[in-house]
Amino acid sequence: MSVAEQLDMSSLLVDRVGKTFSARRSSVVAVESVSFTVPPREVCILLGPSGCGKSTVLRMIAGLEIPTSGRITLSGRPVLGPARERGMVFQGYTSFPWLTVRQNVAYGLKLNGDFGALREGTVDHFLESVGLTRFANAWPHELSGGMRQRVALARALAATPELLLMDEPFGALDAETRWQMQELLLKVIRKERMTVVMVTHDVEEALLLGDQIVFLSSHPGRVRTIINPPFKTDSAIRTREDLRAHPRYAEMERDILQMMREEGKH
Amino acid sequence: MSQPVQSQAVPMTPDANATTADSSAAMPPLSPWPVKVRWFEFKHPVSALSKVWLGVAAWLVFLLGWHYAATSGDANPLFPSPLAVLDALWTLFAERGFASDVLASLKRILISFFLACSIAIPLGILMGAFPRVESAFGPLVSAFRYLPAPAFIPLLLMWLGTGDTQKIALLMLGVIWFLITLVCDNVKQTPVDFIETAKTLGGSRRKILWTVVVPASLPNIVITCRQMLAVSWTYLVIAEIVAATDGIGAMIMRARRFVNVDDIMAGILVIGILGLVCDLLFRGLYWLMFPYLRRR
Repeated sequence: MSVAEQLDMSSLLVDRVGKTFSARRSSVVAVESVSFTVPPREVCILLGPSGCGKSTVLRMIAGLEIPTSGRITLSGRPVLGPARERGMVFQGYTSFPWLTVRQNVAYGLKLNGDFGALREGTVDHFLESVGLTRFANAWPHELSGGMRQRVALARALAATPELLLMDEPFGALDAETRWQMQELLLKVIRKERMTVVMVTHDVEEALLLGDQIVFLSSHPGRVRTIINPPFKTDSAIRTREDLRAHPRYAEMERDILQMMREEGKH
Repeated sequence: MSQPVQSQAVPMTPDANATTADSSAAMPPLSPWPVKVRWFEFKHPVSALSKVWLGVAAWLVFLLGWHYAATSGDANPLFPSPLAVLDALWTLFAERGFASDVLASLKRILISFFLACSIAIPLGILMGAFPRVESAFGPLVSAFRYLPAPAFIPLLLMWLGTGDTQKIALLMLGVIWFLITLVCDNVKQTPVDFIETAKTLGGSRRKILWTVVVPASLPNIVITCRQMLAVSWTYLVIAEIVAATDGIGAMIMRARRFVNVDDIMAGILVIGILGLVCDLLFRGLYWLMFPYLRRR
């Protein structure tokens, strides 16, 4: 399939993208010739050992880092910098402490002067989908870590991006909150039919949420393999228990952990 | 102290294990070990009442010590008692029109501080937000910060004459360089994640500056202003020593000529009180402006 053909049908095209960080004397190749495509309404997981450059790839898609080689295209338009069409949820808590939960969620729309969406109740809709309606008027510092990440998610979604980017969004949460958030995210993604690129090193999270797992090898980051788990589209799977009970889960998890172990030895 | 702990323990048979909660609920309450809480304890919380009490106690010790030192032995006109200072203060206000001096000083402080802020805050924000602006102005500001403001008095006298302008300019020079540097540091502490979040939500640089950088650093900027206003008060007497006919500093210098130590001390006392009032006003402003930072 030619690049042009892929470009027509795919939402996101990452084409031979590389990133070299250069300091004064030395330079480090973080990512080398990474290519993959994400069709509309699919969830792509960037998985790999630490130091494989998966966050760098995500930041380049967001437009927060400039690739040193290769090109990134979203629905035919070149990615030249950060924009509203590519919303991002970060690992750290990024809800603005001077705004209430509702004001945080409305922030993106106000920033863009999108008063139509504000009037139509977009903010309430997304507060509802992440289960924060009761906390709409709370200050972020009054919320738990999981709730703050839900604020960040609702804020990103309310700006109605074409592509949602997530950089280990649940990495700072405790185990129980993390899988609650994964189930919530699964529900929201299915309902909103979002196109998502998400970075994680949590294999279970990757299998639960991904249509496509791009597994990166480390030093430098290259695509080692691409896996297509069947679980996200399986509407019978709603919880972590459903996932673990699936006959194919154990085998896929074992294969990925095996790859993680091999990469870790390098 | 070495009570046998075993005597309190529930026997650990499987059966008793299952009913531990019930059986301990039925037992009489157990007083805890007597743990001693030290008076000097790191990070120990202080109740509002003891805060007031301890603060007042320290003041009382200071005033009583002063009173005792001043009144024991022969009366020394160079070292009046606190009561004599209060008496002098009363006379100053009631008979010698000290209020107009106080107002003159207050006016100089407020105008100079307002002018200093209106230059330093925008410049500090731009320097903190944009590394290139900081690279341009940083070395200049740092150099001026090391120059003692009083050294400029002769220049200011020649350039601006002996009026209010010269005093206001000196007070400004005393704080503006520190104000710029501190505001710049406040702004630099804006988390980079906040800025990047706003970028991925489609914010322009101007909008990110106004809706993220400024609100994120504003609380610390207000604290910086509060602290630099205190520094401004410390420059007041220096500004009013030379070629001044009114103001608290001028009164203090007049009193020195006639060795009226009680007047000098009354002047110092007034500066202290006004400084304290400014500080309280700033704290109130902070409380009003940042409801999300209350009692955290």
